[in-house]
Amino acid sequence: MVIDLFKLNRKGQMKIQQMAFMLIAITILFVLVGVFFLAISLQDLKKTATGLEKENVRFLVSKLANSPEFSCGNAFGNSLDNCIDFDKLMILRKESDKYNNFWGVTKIYVRKICPEDETICTEENYPNCGMIKILDKNVNSTGFSSNFVSLCRKEKGKNLLYDKCEIALLMIASEDKG
Amino acid sequence: MKKIFLKKGALEISFGWLFAIIIGGVVIFSAIFLSSKITDSSDEIVSAEIGKEINILLNPLETSFETAQTTSIVLTTETRINNLCSDGTPFGKQSLRIDQKRLNEWTNTDIKTNSYSKYIFSKDQTEGKKFYIFSKPFNFPFKVADLIYLTSAEEFYCFKNAPDSVKKEISELDQENLILENCTDEHIKICFSGNNCDVNVKYREGYLEKDNEKIYFENVGESDALMYGAIFADKDIYECQVKRLMMRLEELCYIYYNKEIANNKVGCEGSVSTELIQLKVLAGNFENSSGIKSIGLVAEDVEKKNRIGRCSLW
Repeated sequence: MVIDLFKLNRKGQMKIQQMAFMLIAITILFVLVGVFFLAISLQDLKKTATGLEKENVRFLVSKLANSPEFSCGNAFGNSLDNCIDFDKLMILRKESDKYNNFWGVTKIYVRKICPEDETICTEENYPNCGMIKILDKNVNSTGFSSNFVSLCRKEKGKNLLYDKCEIALLMIASEDKG
Repeated sequence: MKKIFLKKGALEISFGWLFAIIIGGVVIFSAIFLSSKITDSSDEIVSAEIGKEINILLNPLETSFETAQTTSIVLTTETRINNLCSDGTPFGKQSLRIDQKRLNEWTNTDIKTNSYSKYIFSKDQTEGKKFYIFSKPFNFPFKVADLIYLTSAEEFYCFKNAPDSVKKEISELDQENLILENCTDEHIKICFSGNNCDVNVKYREGYLEKDNEKIYFENVGESDALMYGAIFADKDIYECQVKRLMMRLEELCYIYYNKEIANNKVGCEGSVSTELIQLKVLAGNFENSSGIKSIGLVAEDVEKKNRIGRCSLW
């Protein structure tokens, strides 16, 4: 039996090329399928992260008014639930650098709703204002979650000192990671 | 020459086969490598999600006033909660790292969930499927934070000869792994008199002995919040959390100091500011729990002054 080595060589080279192309094509296919699933799972992960942030905000908004930096404590008579001390807020506003990451949210606003007033509170116009921005990070945020609170302070009358409480809305937003 | 190529008996692997084996091996190796990486990252995702969910579940425990409250977390697989605490400025950091048991081996991830407003007192590692958590407000003299105590349902703490206030609190908590009688050898014994228990509490003296180390606590008013922290936490965690609490106390002193100034403008005539500054300085210089007693004495002065003032600051 005589075999043409030159012919055999060419045939072998063709087969090697075929196989190489096939293997490269299969590898690319697997990579593409992998990237596709990775993209889907990453999207899900971002949704999960944003969902967890929203859940965190929902829980936080119901209890933030009772944290020591906000709470009235017993300063206005008996211990009041969901009562925010207006004086403390004005001091806290200036300390926002320290509290930047403390509650893990991006925005914390308190807005008077009765009487409604959109004037942003400053040293100069306090207490005749209606919106206090405690934290206002410049990042993409979710919508606000809010909770009704009493906003209380000491007020001087003609002859007496009294506690003045107004209805306000505590509003919190977190980072949108989606 | 032709005969050599056609000779039988030698290992006949053509170049095509050799090429296929090498490339196939590379493809299979890459697939195995990628799938193991994906498994690792899915472990990290699960760990991060559980950590975040535990953090969120702890939110309702940070409540408004007075009473201690308890809750439990049940997980489907054996879990290890690693409590990591750091005391960097401004308020330190509370981190949790979750490891879970897979095929009888612990997953090992580097993913941590961080929180800056929580103070969890527990061992460095707490293992189990069910965990009990209870919280108590820490007042010094005003409320500084809610302390969270985390224990595994597999560990039972038996309180012996506890003062009435502690007994009352434990029985009201109704937490299954905190017991007041019928201690057995498996239980971790917390004794309020004597020296032969796992934890020996010197309640009046304000310290306890655990693992041959002294841990100091101080309570202003009737709250035993720090004492429970010292009982349930490892010493390094306890010291770090107390340091973080002092950092927050320092900032709250500043807030109340300025509040007094604001109150005085409307005629309150408050006079706590000197003591508040003193408390702020002491809290800022806090190094370890052995100095907590002296801070507690100033905190009591602050409380007395606040009570006699015309307008209460807290």
